[in-house]
Amino acid sequence: MKSKFVKLIIGLAITTLSIGAVGCTSKNQSQAGTNKPKEIRLDFATYNIESLVLKDKGWLEDEFKKDNVKVSFVESQGSNKSLEFLKSNSIDFGSAAGSAGLISKAKGAPIQAVYAFSKPEWSALVTKSNSTIKSVKDLKGKKVAVTLGTDPYILLLRALDEAGLSKDDIQLIPLQHSDGAAALISGQVDAWSGLDPIMARVQVENGAKLFYRNVDFNTYGLLDVRNDFAKNYPEYVGRVIKIYDKARKWIIANPQEAQKLLEKQAKLKPEVAKIQLQRTDLKQSIPGAPQKAALTKAAEILKKYDIIPTNTDVQKTISEFVNGTFAQKALK
Amino acid sequence: MSELNTNTSKVEKISLWLRIIKRVDILKKIALGIIVPLLLVIIWQTLSNFGLIPSYLLPSPSTVVSTLIKLANTGELFTHAGITTYRVLVGFAFGSALAIILGSITGYYRVVYQVLDPLIQALRAIPSLAWVPLFILWFGIGEGSKVIMIAVGVFFPVYLNWVTGIKGVDKKYVEVGILYHFTAIKTIRKILFPAALPSLLTGLRSGLGLGWMFVVAAELMGTSKGLGYLMVLGENNSAPELILGSIILFAILGKITDGILVYIERRVLHWQNSFGEENGNVSS
Repeated sequence: MKSKFVKLIIGLAITTLSIGAVGCTSKNQSQAGTNKPKEIRLDFATYNIESLVLKDKGWLEDEFKKDNVKVSFVESQGSNKSLEFLKSNSIDFGSAAGSAGLISKAKGAPIQAVYAFSKPEWSALVTKSNSTIKSVKDLKGKKVAVTLGTDPYILLLRALDEAGLSKDDIQLIPLQHSDGAAALISGQVDAWSGLDPIMARVQVENGAKLFYRNVDFNTYGLLDVRNDFAKNYPEYVGRVIKIYDKARKWIIANPQEAQKLLEKQAKLKPEVAKIQLQRTDLKQSIPGAPQKAALTKAAEILKKYDIIPTNTDVQKTISEFVNGTFAQKALK
Repeated sequence: MSELNTNTSKVEKISLWLRIIKRVDILKKIALGIIVPLLLVIIWQTLSNFGLIPSYLLPSPSTVVSTLIKLANTGELFTHAGITTYRVLVGFAFGSALAIILGSITGYYRVVYQVLDPLIQALRAIPSLAWVPLFILWFGIGEGSKVIMIAVGVFFPVYLNWVTGIKGVDKKYVEVGILYHFTAIKTIRKILFPAALPSLLTGLRSGLGLGWMFVVAAELMGTSKGLGYLMVLGENNSAPELILGSIILFAILGKITDGILVYIERRVLHWQNSFGEENGNVSS
């Protein structure tokens, strides 16, 4: 009886551990005998205009065809989703706002930001045209929709802090970006911390107004890569950055075509696409001091709300996170 | 006289021993049930301590526990757990009340059964979570829509078990009622209801389980308070310890509420003389 019992325990322990081990196998592997990835998995999103260009024009597929490397895209509904995909090793390159990426990095996510795809004013606080809300102070006690873990979320917290309010003074309703906009328009929430292009869309189609804007509270669009991908395939990181930069330059050189492409890929009306492009600055692309400064400021509010551990070494985390070396080498 | 006293004290001694043995028995049951989970937690903590499991994917048990304690200290834990439990209980009350009323009618009146039951069975076949986007569209993201969603989830198992229970009552008992000239209401009250009660209580237990499942779905979409909100917060703010913490709380609260139902079941069905009994009580 006793030995049977012991055997049962050991058997259970082995089963549990082997299930755990199987579940942890890495999902991107090298081609046999080479230092090449089998596949490069990226995300695309309506808030990352270069990604839409790349998906439309197929430049990445062309670049890597000769190396027999597949390229795949998955749509992301927000920085929080991109980071989730990166952490779960479902994509190799993800597009996320700087501050959102910083949260993940501070909590141990093995990622680094290697390219700055935009300096946007993509987020602001939005309310309906007939609303009584005129300033951040008026948000007290109101329902505000926002996507947790994204730039609009951190902008909201910083705006509240600036107006002397705290997160607990409002009813924060977590909804993904498009659901948040829908909730604002249907009147279920009083305000929404918005994101382009959805924000531009509700401005044009529903007359919504941006009652609080602060371009400094927007923290850059950064392309993040998984550390293990960067370690194993550094040359490929450089090549992806080069193609991303090609897309950036194309948008700058062909504004009309870029707008049409944005309209088509993101299913936007021309006025909406125009507004989003106007609010996106594509002049710089190598991540460095400006991004680090913006993130240092954002880190204050993150620590205040214990979103990142209060004992985080902010400078160290940011310098490990923002890595401009790949871009410097690739784009010189 | 003294003989009577010694006999009484002997009986007292024996009953005291029986109570002690019963407690030891319960302790043994608990101990056996705890061994495997405890072993798993120890393995988990050890692997985390040695850094074999990355903390951003699976935080250590000590991180999860300290996060829960932190939340308890600020009182947030009780707010979130409280509102989730409230939603489940209110939804459960509405859903089971509707199921019992509707089930009684369809169970007793054959015509009503033939007309309504096919529709209800068809609705029951719809995977419960498929209702969520529709309800959010129709009822929004307020408290009302969450309670309705939970009530719908609770309704179907309770209804099904109740109707099956009524229809499964042994005809012999009903015939006895006919012999005694029972009216419809008397038949329902004195024969059908007690006979179908065991099925109803089983249905209530499944309904409650489904209610807990539905509250998670309801809270994943647009709520600022609740254990589901903690999960969304943990998912999006890179805090997997919050996800695990709220899963543990769901398990605890689910078990407690289920335990309450089991206790009620035991009290209400004390007259049963059935196969699964332990010590003359209804087995859990």
